[in-house]
Order: sequence, then structure tokens, then C-alpha cells
Amino acid sequence: MKRLLQPLLLTGALLITLLPVYWLATLSLKREVDQFAVPPIWIRFTPTLAHYRDIFLERSFATYLLNSTVAAGVSTLLALGIGTAAAYSLARFPRPGLAFWILSTRMFPPIVSVIPLLLMLRWAKLLNSIVALIIVYTAFNLPFVVWMMRSFFAEIPPDLEEAAMLDGHTRLGALWRVVLPLVRPGLAATAAFCLVIGWNEFLFAFLVAQTDAAMTLPVGIAGRVTQYEIKWGAMSAGGVVAMLPVFVFASAMQKYLVRGLSLGAVKG
Amino acid sequence: MTPHSAPWPPTPGPRAWVLPAIAVLALLSIYPLLFAIEVSLRTPAGHGFSNFTRLVQDRFFLVALAQTLVYTAGALVIEFTLGLGLALLLHREFRGRQVFRSLLLIPMLLPPVVVAVIWRLILNPEFGVLNGTLRSLGVPTASLTWFGSERTAMLSVILVDAWQWTPFMFLLLLAGLQGLPVEPFEAARVDGASSLQIFRRLTLPMLRPVIAIAVLLRTMDLLRVFDQIFILTQGGPGFATETVTLYIYRTAFRYWNFGYAAAMSFVLLAATTIIARAFLRLLREQPA
Repeated sequence: MKRLLQPLLLTGALLITLLPVYWLATLSLKREVDQFAVPPIWIRFTPTLAHYRDIFLERSFATYLLNSTVAAGVSTLLALGIGTAAAYSLARFPRPGLAFWILSTRMFPPIVSVIPLLLMLRWAKLLNSIVALIIVYTAFNLPFVVWMMRSFFAEIPPDLEEAAMLDGHTRLGALWRVVLPLVRPGLAATAAFCLVIGWNEFLFAFLVAQTDAAMTLPVGIAGRVTQYEIKWGAMSAGGVVAMLPVFVFASAMQKYLVRGLSLGAVKG
Repeated sequence: MTPHSAPWPPTPGPRAWVLPAIAVLALLSIYPLLFAIEVSLRTPAGHGFSNFTRLVQDRFFLVALAQTLVYTAGALVIEFTLGLGLALLLHREFRGRQVFRSLLLIPMLLPPVVVAVIWRLILNPEFGVLNGTLRSLGVPTASLTWFGSERTAMLSVILVDAWQWTPFMFLLLLAGLQGLPVEPFEAARVDGASSLQIFRRLTLPMLRPVIAIAVLLRTMDLLRVFDQIFILTQGGPGFATETVTLYIYRTAFRYWNFGYAAAMSFVLLAATTIIARAFLRLLREQPA
């Protein structure tokens, strides 16, 4: 009895976790008659790619996709560049107060800074542009990058770069050629985290980029939810497109998922 | 060139490499926070504290605050219980455990907007697959209105949150379990302690720091929830699922009262800080 309980509970948990995602995928591949069939059709339906064709024929959808990619991608690169330098500095010349201050900026609820940031961006004439989102996401991801990369650098003994510096490398050269290659998996995981956060972000994107030309995918999808309640094909196909990249990033994050999600407070 | 000559071009020393990050955060995190203080003091009659005194009498704000706490507490209890259960189930070694773990983590990585879309489609009272399945099994679904009625909407948005974020609890608690030393557990088993005794006297106390971190991080996110509720119910029906963040959003961007909205956001920040400090104190008290 007890030996049966564990597999049973696990299977249940797995079904509850995966069936909703599976259902979204099937809805996006079903003709409209099959979407609303009672009893619901789980497996045997005639698949169609019509909904995907429809959303990609809409010009704005391709724009959303591009905007999301650019906003998440560029802000990740910026946060990695600025954050890695700071993280290295803090790892080799520890200043705990400063490190904690940097982390604490991430604890503010975003709604507190939404209004002032919006006023600042309006003043800088950057509202409704992808640049605005890049700036906001860079600042948002920066503390995270500093915190993560600092922990990875701390695991590398300083002797390594000191040896390289004795060989005539500058510190920057030693960091680039000796230290960074060693923390590459951590760097990749940190990048993947930033990409997912930027890709998934909704509140700022919704408020800062309201024109069709500047909208990101989550905002575009949210707009469709309220506009065409009955267009389930477009909604589900859009949802599938928005979640696919996340699965790709997830594989890079796997090993450091716990460290990233707990900001290093839990060893995993 | 000797190894000890100064490098050319001269570069700022590594101690200074933290400066660009400080500059960015000062401009985009600290300055906005100070700016928000100024905005929160803006009133139709010049600067003053009337936004803060108005808060205490605003019934809508107080209801939104109470509902935020209900949402936070409800989701926390479900996510912690299920997360701990799953972590204990996956703590033991078995074939395919890593695959199980990865699959169970999927919901937490999805864009909240997509999660909201998924559950709006599934829980649609008329055309959704859940009520459809129940109907075909002969279960009456007239009362299963999910997001559609004031009675069930709050529970429904909590369940959606639990679906997405139980994996987070599970992941952190599992990591905590696997980081525990083995010896005390072996000793307890040798002494003939029952599984329940071991769980209550050993596992839970030793896991406390990890539990505190997991609960703290989840609480901070729950208090500021916006995306899912905004797409699932927009705070409705009526006011049934309105949370503080949604009410702030409405005040700022529907009624265009930035000053009042900023004042409310500071109350949210204060509540978050107080709760976070309480958890951190709990964390520091190591079990004997």
C-alpha cells in the first residue's frame, strides 16, 4: 500500500502540472469545432496550423516578437556587462555593505518605481519605445547579475589571475582570458535568468510601451485576451509561441536554478 | 617591459569597476524611490500629507489590502504544504527522479501572462475543458463559475497562483532537504524513532532556515501580485479580487492620481519590509 502511494501521488502531481500546458498546445492546433467539443477531445483531432498562420500574418504579432527579443536580449547583455564588472570587484575587494545595498534595490515592489520611472521616461521622451524597456530591464536585472556572479567569482581562487598578471596580463586581460572562461556555466545561467525575466515581464511593458510598434509579446497577448474573448485559436497559439523560448533557456539554468531563485541563500 | 610596469593605457583599478553599476542603480532605483516620495506628497493644494491621511479612511484601499493579505496567506499555505509534500516525495532516490524534478518545475518558468491565458481557457464556465469534462461525467457545473462570480473568484486566482508557484517552494525545499547532514537521521532511526517523530523533531527544525527563505521570497512576490490577476479578472467581478497593486494601478492610470497612488505604494513597501524583517529574524535564530 505504502509502496504504491508514492508513484500514485507523483503521477497525480505530474498530470496537474503538465495537462494544462498540453491542453493549451492542443487548443492551438485544433479547428474551432474541436476546441469546443463536449466531451473534450484530448488526443484524436485533426491538427491544423491555421491559428499559427493567422497570428504570424498579422503584422503586429511579428513586431511583438521582435520587440520582446530585443528588449530581453539587449537588456541582458547590458546587465551582464555592467554587473559582471561590479561582481568581480566585489568578489575580490569585499564591501559587504555595498553588496547588500545593491541587492536591496531589487526588493522594492516594482509598482513603487513605476510612476517615477514613467515620469522620467516621459521627460526623456522615451515613452513607447523599446529603448525605455531596455533601460528599465537593465536596471531590474543588474542587482541579480551582481549577486549571482559575485558568488561564482568567489569560488575561483585569486591565485589564478595573479599568476596570469605576473605573466604580463593586465587584470582586465586576466579576467577575460582566465577567470571568465572558468565561470562560463554560471554566466550562461545568469544570462538565461535575465532573458526569462525580461521575456516574461508584463507590468512595465504594459505601462511604458502602449503603442503597437513598441509592444512586447506578453502585452500583445494580454490585449487579445480582453479583445476577442472567443478567438481561442489565436490566444493559445500566441501563448505557445511565448512559452517556447523559455524551455530553451531553462536547460541553461537547470544547474543553478536554486541559487538563482533563492539569490544564493539556499545551496542547491 | 617589466612585469611590474604600469599597464598602458591606464585603466581604473578593479575596486572602481563597481561604479557603473552603482551609477545605474542610483539613477534608476534610488532616484525613482526618492522621486516617488515627492510624488506621494503632491496634493491638489500643494505638497502635504493628505494622501497618507486619506488612505486610512479609504474603504476601497483597506478592502484591497485585506484581500491582498488573504491572497498571500491562502497561496502561501497551499504552496508550502504541496511544495513540502512534493519535496519529501522526491527526496528519496529513484529512477527518473531528475526528469520528474525538471518536469514539475515547468509552470514557474512560464510567462505569467501565458499562465493566465491557460487558466482562462480551461476554467471558462461554459466552454472550458474542466467544466466540460465534469458535465460529461454527469457532475452539475452550474455553481462552478470560477473567475465569473464574486464567491469563487478569489479562490480561483489563488489556485492559479498555486499551480504556477508551488514548484518554487518544492525546488527550494528539496534543495534544503538534500543539503541536510545524514548522521542525525541515521542515529534517530537506530534509536527507533518513527518517521513522524523524525519529521517533526529533526526534518522541520533543521529545514527552518530554508523554509524561512522560501516563504520570505514567495511572500514578497505575493504581496505585489499583478500580472495574473490583471489578466484573469482585472480585480473583479466587482471588487472581489482587487489587490493593492491593482488598486494602485487603477488610481494612477485610470483616475490619474499619481500622488495618491505613490502614497499607497509606500504602504505596500512598508508592509513588505516589515514582513521581510520578521522572516529574517526567524532565519537568524538557528535551532539549538
